[in-house]
Amino acid sequence: MPKFVGDFGTTWTKLLDMETGEKSVLKTTDVKNLSPELATGHNAKRFSKNSVGELVALAHGGTRIVGGTFSMLDVGSRDMKYIRLERGDLKSMDWNSQCGALTGFTVQLLGEHFGVDFSDVEPADKALPVTCGVLGMEKVFDEIAGSVAPSDALAMFVKGLAMNAYRFIGSPDKFCLSGGMCDNPLFLASFPKDVEVVPVGRFVLVEGLEYELAEKAKNKANKMASHVEGRC
Amino acid sequence: MKVGFVGCPPEDVLSKYRTEELFDLDNFYPASRQTDLLPPNTCAIVKRIVANALSLKPELIVFDEGYGKCDMARSAADVILKNMDVEMIRTRNNNLEPNGTRISDSRLGLKEKVELIVGELDGTAKRPDGLKAASPSPPVAFWGVPASDFSIYDLFPAGTKVLGWTRCLENRTPDNPELESFVDERVPTVFFAQTFCHKNILAKNLAAKYNGLYVDMDGHLTGSSRAKIEAFLRFNI
Repeated sequence: MPKFVGDFGTTWTKLLDMETGEKSVLKTTDVKNLSPELATGHNAKRFSKNSVGELVALAHGGTRIVGGTFSMLDVGSRDMKYIRLERGDLKSMDWNSQCGALTGFTVQLLGEHFGVDFSDVEPADKALPVTCGVLGMEKVFDEIAGSVAPSDALAMFVKGLAMNAYRFIGSPDKFCLSGGMCDNPLFLASFPKDVEVVPVGRFVLVEGLEYELAEKAKNKANKMASHVEGRC
Repeated sequence: MKVGFVGCPPEDVLSKYRTEELFDLDNFYPASRQTDLLPPNTCAIVKRIVANALSLKPELIVFDEGYGKCDMARSAADVILKNMDVEMIRTRNNNLEPNGTRISDSRLGLKEKVELIVGELDGTAKRPDGLKAASPSPPVAFWGVPASDFSIYDLFPAGTKVLGWTRCLENRTPDNPELESFVDERVPTVFFAQTFCHKNILAKNLAAKYNGLYVDMDGHLTGSSRAKIEAFLRFNI
C-alpha cells in the first residue's frame, strides 16, 4: 500500500503520495477504503485515527512552501481560514465558518447554474455586500431580477466574497491564497489592485501533513540519539 | 419552595433562599425545553434562562440585572414575567468587596474550576480542602463568561488561568470592569464570548491588544472553534 496523506474536505479530497510525490483530487463522496498516514480536513476523522487540525496543517504547509513568514488565506467549499506567521511565530489566525459559509461551494454552484466560465468574466468595480455564500446568493438573484446580466451579477458577487475575505485576514499588502479558489481567475482578479495575491494551490494542507510527519520523525530520531548519548 | 436566580445576585438577597430548592437559571438543565419567545439571534445563555424559567417553574426568581447581565437579559426578565406566574426580585449586584480568586488561579483543570465557581454560587459544589496554590506561570489563560458548552474547557491544560467575568463571578464582584479587563500579558490567552453577546466587542479588542485568540460560540462547540483553539495552544505552549 502506498503511503499517503489526505485533506478530506467537505466537497473535495486532496491526496499526496509520499513515495512518488503524486498529488490527486477526488470528490469526498467517492472516497472509499483509504487509510492515510495522517489526515486533516472537515471529514478527517471519518478516514483516519491520526488527524491534525486544518490551521496546524495550513501553518506547516505554508512554512514548507514559502518559509517562516507569511499570511496564508485558505478558501474552501465550506469556510475560509487564515494564519499569519512571522519567523515561525504565530501572529494571528482565524476561521470563519459562519459568515464565510459555503464560499467556494456557492461560487461553483452559481457558475454551473448560469453556465458562466469565470475566465471570460471581467472583475466588477462594484462589490455586492456579501457576508456569506447563502445571503450573497439572494443578492445575485435580486441583481439579475433588476436586469443585470448574470455574468455581471456573478462578478459583483465574487468581488464581494474577495473583499470579505480580504478584510477577514486584516487587509495585508501581500498574502498567499490556498485552496480550490486559486483556480478561479475572476476571484484572483477581484482583490484590490494594489494587493499582491500569491496563489499557492490546493495542496498546501497535504504538504503541511507531510511536514508534520517529517518533524515528528526528526524529533523521534533526536530523542533516540540523546537517549543513546546519555547511556554512553 | 423552588427558587431560581439569574446572574450573580447580591449575597444578602440570595442568602435568604439558600435553604430553598435553588436553581441557577444560567445553567444547563436537561429537562428544560427551548421556547419560540425569543428571536434566533439571542445569545444561548439568555435563551437558556427563559427556557429554564418556563420549564422548571420556580415560584420566585432573583434576577441580577446589573452590569453582569445585559439588555437582552433584562428584556428576557420581562418575557418571563409575561409568560408565567412567578414572583421576581430584580436586583443589581454592585458589590466590590472581593471574595478572592483562588479557584481561578489554582492548578485545577479548567472545567473543574468553572464547575466549582458556578457550583459554589448555587451551593451544589464546595471547593476541596487544601486547594493547590496558584501556579506562578500558568500555561495559558481563558477569558470570558461561563460557556454554554463546558466541553470547550476540556481543550485546555490543567492550571489554565481563569480571567474575565468568570473571575469576577468567583470574586463575587460581577460589576467590576477593571477586574474583568485584567489580562496577564505574559500568558497566551483565549478570549471567549457567546455569539450575540455584547461581550464579543470586549473579547475581540482585548484579543487584538494582547495578541490572543478571539473565539465566539453559539450554544455548542463547533469543529472550527475547536480547531482554532487547538492550533493556538499548539503554537503557544
